[in-house]
Amino acid sequence: MIGAANKNVQLHPKRKMGFFKTLGRQYQLALMSVPMLLYVFLFNYFPMWGWLVSFEKFKPKQGALNSKWVGLENFEWLFGRADFINAIRNTLAMSVINLIFGTLSSILLAVLLNEVRSRFFKRTVQTVTYLPHFLSMVIVVGMAQNMFSADGTINNLLISAGIISPENKIFWLGEKTLFWPLVGVINIWKEVGWNSIIYISTMTSIDPTLYEAASIDGAGRFRRILHVTLPGIKSTFVVLLIMNIGHLMEAGFEIQYLMENALVKEYSQTIDVFSLRYGISSGEYGIATASGMFKSIVAIFLLFGANFIAKKLDEDTLI
Amino acid sequence: MRKLFAILLALAMLLSMTSFAIAEEPITVTVFRGDPGDQPTDDNKIYKMIEEEFGIKFEIEFLAGDLDETLGTKIAGEDYPDLFDGGNSAEKLINAGALIDLLPYISEEKTPNLYNHIKDLLPQLVNEDGELFIIPNYGINYNAQIQMACNGPAFFIQKQVLAWDNYPTIKTLDQYFDLIERFIAANPTNKDGVPYTGFAILCEDWRHFCLINPVQHLMGRPNDGEVVINVNSGNWETEVFITKDYAKPYYKKLNEEFKKGLISRDTFVMNYDQYIAALSSGTILGMFDQTWDFGSATAALETAGMYENTFCALPLVYDEHYGYGVIEEQYLNGAVPNKDRGFGISVNCEYPERMINLFENLLSDRWQKILQWGIEGEDYYVENGRMLMTQEQYNNRNDASWKMRNTAATIWESSPKKQGTQDDGNAWAPADQSENYFNLMSDYDKAFLSAYGYLKPADFFNAPCELAPYGEAWQIDKTPIQLDYNDFNAIQDKWLPIIIMSADDAEFEANWAAFQAEIAPCATVYEEYMQEEVLKLVEQATK
Amino acid sequence: MPYAEKAVKAKTPLKGQPRKQKEPIKLESFSDLIKYIKNFFFEIKKRDIVFPLINGIILCLLMFITLYPVINTVAISFNDGIDALRGNIGLWPRMFSTKAYSDLLTDPLIYSAFFISVSRTVITTILNLLTTSMLAYALSRKEYVLRKFITTAMVLTMYVNAGLIPNYLLITDTLNLDKSFWVYIIPTMFSCFNMIVIRTYINGLPEALSESARIDGAGDFRIFWRIIFPLCMPVLATVALFVAVGSWNQWFDTQLYNGGKKNLHTLQYLLKMKLATSMNQANKANATADAMAQAANTTPITMRCAITVVSALPILLVYPFLQRYFVTGMVLGGVKG
Repeated sequence: MIGAANKNVQLHPKRKMGFFKTLGRQYQLALMSVPMLLYVFLFNYFPMWGWLVSFEKFKPKQGALNSKWVGLENFEWLFGRADFINAIRNTLAMSVINLIFGTLSSILLAVLLNEVRSRFFKRTVQTVTYLPHFLSMVIVVGMAQNMFSADGTINNLLISAGIISPENKIFWLGEKTLFWPLVGVINIWKEVGWNSIIYISTMTSIDPTLYEAASIDGAGRFRRILHVTLPGIKSTFVVLLIMNIGHLMEAGFEIQYLMENALVKEYSQTIDVFSLRYGISSGEYGIATASGMFKSIVAIFLLFGANFIAKKLDEDTLI
Repeated sequence: MRKLFAILLALAMLLSMTSFAIAEEPITVTVFRGDPGDQPTDDNKIYKMIEEEFGIKFEIEFLAGDLDETLGTKIAGEDYPDLFDGGNSAEKLINAGALIDLLPYISEEKTPNLYNHIKDLLPQLVNEDGELFIIPNYGINYNAQIQMACNGPAFFIQKQVLAWDNYPTIKTLDQYFDLIERFIAANPTNKDGVPYTGFAILCEDWRHFCLINPVQHLMGRPNDGEVVINVNSGNWETEVFITKDYAKPYYKKLNEEFKKGLISRDTFVMNYDQYIAALSSGTILGMFDQTWDFGSATAALETAGMYENTFCALPLVYDEHYGYGVIEEQYLNGAVPNKDRGFGISVNCEYPERMINLFENLLSDRWQKILQWGIEGEDYYVENGRMLMTQEQYNNRNDASWKMRNTAATIWESSPKKQGTQDDGNAWAPADQSENYFNLMSDYDKAFLSAYGYLKPADFFNAPCELAPYGEAWQIDKTPIQLDYNDFNAIQDKWLPIIIMSADDAEFEANWAAFQAEIAPCATVYEEYMQEEVLKLVEQATK
Repeated sequence: MPYAEKAVKAKTPLKGQPRKQKEPIKLESFSDLIKYIKNFFFEIKKRDIVFPLINGIILCLLMFITLYPVINTVAISFNDGIDALRGNIGLWPRMFSTKAYSDLLTDPLIYSAFFISVSRTVITTILNLLTTSMLAYALSRKEYVLRKFITTAMVLTMYVNAGLIPNYLLITDTLNLDKSFWVYIIPTMFSCFNMIVIRTYINGLPEALSESARIDGAGDFRIFWRIIFPLCMPVLATVALFVAVGSWNQWFDTQLYNGGKKNLHTLQYLLKMKLATSMNQANKANATADAMAQAANTTPITMRCAITVVSALPILLVYPFLQRYFVTGMVLGGVKG
């Protein structure tokens, strides 16, 4: 206690002058990190002059510096459109569904795998479940569309199970309210194995003696999972969660684009799909950039918000 | 001093002459194509000939991803290849000033082939400032235009349905649906017990023309996209037809067929692959489409020997009782020059004259034969003055890896070319050669046609009409009103399926009214824009 | 952590321990399978078998539903292209054909493209692991004065995107990296996401390890290289997989920067082009009457599946080598004690 107090007393007055001195002492850390800082400034921050375009009626011929300045017109146009507002709603809804169920399912898979004793079985399951990650979305969506079509596997299963009658087949692909859950299911199907890899590898860092201790203490399997496994992956979980909250404005692009049809468009069009249609494909770079910039700004707010909450809860933080 | 000057001048002239010689030195030309494609092999025989004769090698870049995105980056960086084919977005290149005006390089003396190629069409091809950036890659015919089959829009019906009813003549919408209804009533399923679907409507993305285009044809017009143009009044009145009264009966008819079960609601959520799969399975009896759009399904059916399930194209119009009088069909149109599509020469190109010279030479009869048919004796043979191919030679032309070694398809496809008939009566394109066409036709098709007393599938149609001075209106660039045009399409995509699926007449009327109310603003913008553009084009063409 | 103290005790065998520590059953080969099944039924009689049983069933079910699309893809890739258009192919080809593969593999460019792809993947992965883990270590040091600033700057890169064109101009006009192999390496040398993953892992490692080294006078480079880096193997294997898969699957940079240079084409770009070409031929407009004949040879459906197999196979073969690091696990407890 006294030592800590002393430190405070010593450090505080020195702080302003001591920054460079401390940095000098930490030159090895600086050598390890400052080059990468310069790297991201060059590759990630320097190109951000491109955001200028979102305030312009951009013409490729004139370039970003000479195009007509229109102020907030592009943003006004975007927010004046009901389908852009819908696109924001759809993006958030689908990414929240994806975040919650995607994370839960991959943690669940990791936990279940962690309980498997046979190494052969464990490896097999892991290899097989991550394979769909390598299929292109076109293939996966094509398959899903066949399964969910009127005479597809799913309806036939439901009919033979007596849940629905043959006259009232569910119109999975044309019912707009079913679009979000459908996308969620397909995403989980494709990515659950891949997403669980990171949790599985984190679980290897859990000290095995903790399990033994828990066993001695008389803890059953579920208590061991609850008190050893899950706390062991908590910091990874929290950090990934914060990062993903920042990514809530990205709900993917391909799957919605491929699954879309006119009947469900109101619920399927995401910000990215919208900005492709009304921005890039229409040659309206100003609008495309404005919508990208809007996304980035919201993302940064979400990120800092999530980080702040994590800090308040005394959890690991990202920053 | 004067002497020295003269010597210097002579030297300079000598130098300039050598520099002219240097210009004929071997060069590598960079090429971009706004389409995907296979890189030719290094030992490709046609490219070798081009290199030997013109000293030109090509470094070709194809498109793998999104065209607009790729062009956008090239324009922003001004990274233009020498020969630049912007595919379906070539307007972007022109608007960005990436291409040079070709007209100053084209003259009757220096480039007679090119000059004759475009001279009749020139008023239609140039822009408002009288500049020409791209010579059309397709659609310029020599001698007689060859029309074997309908390659464009039509209503389609399985040949077995016509055969079942003893080869009736189907001219109108009502006759068409009546026949399908009767056929299904008599044959609800195919021989495997799979139920037939009467009529399919593909609505996916840009292929939604299957949903939104038919009305103009029912009114007796060729394909102008989303507008009907009055070509006879002299005023070229251009109207968006989906907002007009005469559009409603078609969708009313579809609604009735939907209620009768001829149209399945699944058709509105089908993607292109599923649509092709459905057509290929032979259980879809009819649809509105364009022949080239489902070529792979036709191929699948033929490979499986299911010739009776392949489709016959029919030019349907409204019946008299719809109140529009007797309508004469006009589905086939005169050849349409593919305006602003093909190679342009970029402003970065250091040797525009050699490029023009290349096009000029490739347009000669000798080179056109090499590019389109290949080498005589290797790729085709001549019998009694007719150019012919064996089955193997014909198959080769469709083999991707053979083409990489033996054709200059990439350069040929984007360059100006001759189509139609050669002076000696042979067709320019091997597939247009009637012997080739009939040799490829199946026995079933031959019997089917002869049952109608026809020689070729195009006989179901009236002869092509003369191309209107504005071309075909769907070609008009919509960039200036792109956002309204997007809405115009999106609203149709959204409402037309709902309208067709209406439960009863009251609901149909309500949906139709709501649709009309929603589409009116952007339809007006679109209509006014198209009217202006059509008038501009007509004015230019008649100058 | 209530169990932490008991962990120490567990190391000394206790008297009267009700159950003996059992050898975990190894099932490395199929010959062990029978033994395993015997054991399995024997185990059922004992306690604590319900969970493994249900667990096994759930995982088998999951395997089934994830394996189905994969096998289906392989089956379609070996099917005749035109026949495949009719759909409804299950787990076995209906009309066997290797045409899709021969179309792909007869292109002489595919071998150089494969070489380029392997090179870029290997180099990118190695560089990425070094830069990313080094930075992760530096940013895990709580006392580092620039930690907060650099972390924030890094994290934000994941959320701000300047858009395609400014990035393109940076690479081509400013850095002149286009039309060269280095455009595959330099812009993808670092990934923030992976850095965070590694940092989180390092944070979880016992502080005592580096502290004792520090007392012995080791600098940060030494601590990182000698102590932290080897301990990070499980997470580095994971990150290597992420980076390698990402780099291997890239085709867009080839399109943007090296499209005209066919000796710099990557495998994924070439395959993407093959697919686009076969789709394009099917769509080709009615400009020539040839279109129909061309479509007859086009098989976008089988092509897509064969391409999936060809492009995923090499990376799948690498997986087992990486997998051992994070499936087997590392015994950190020993280091800790």
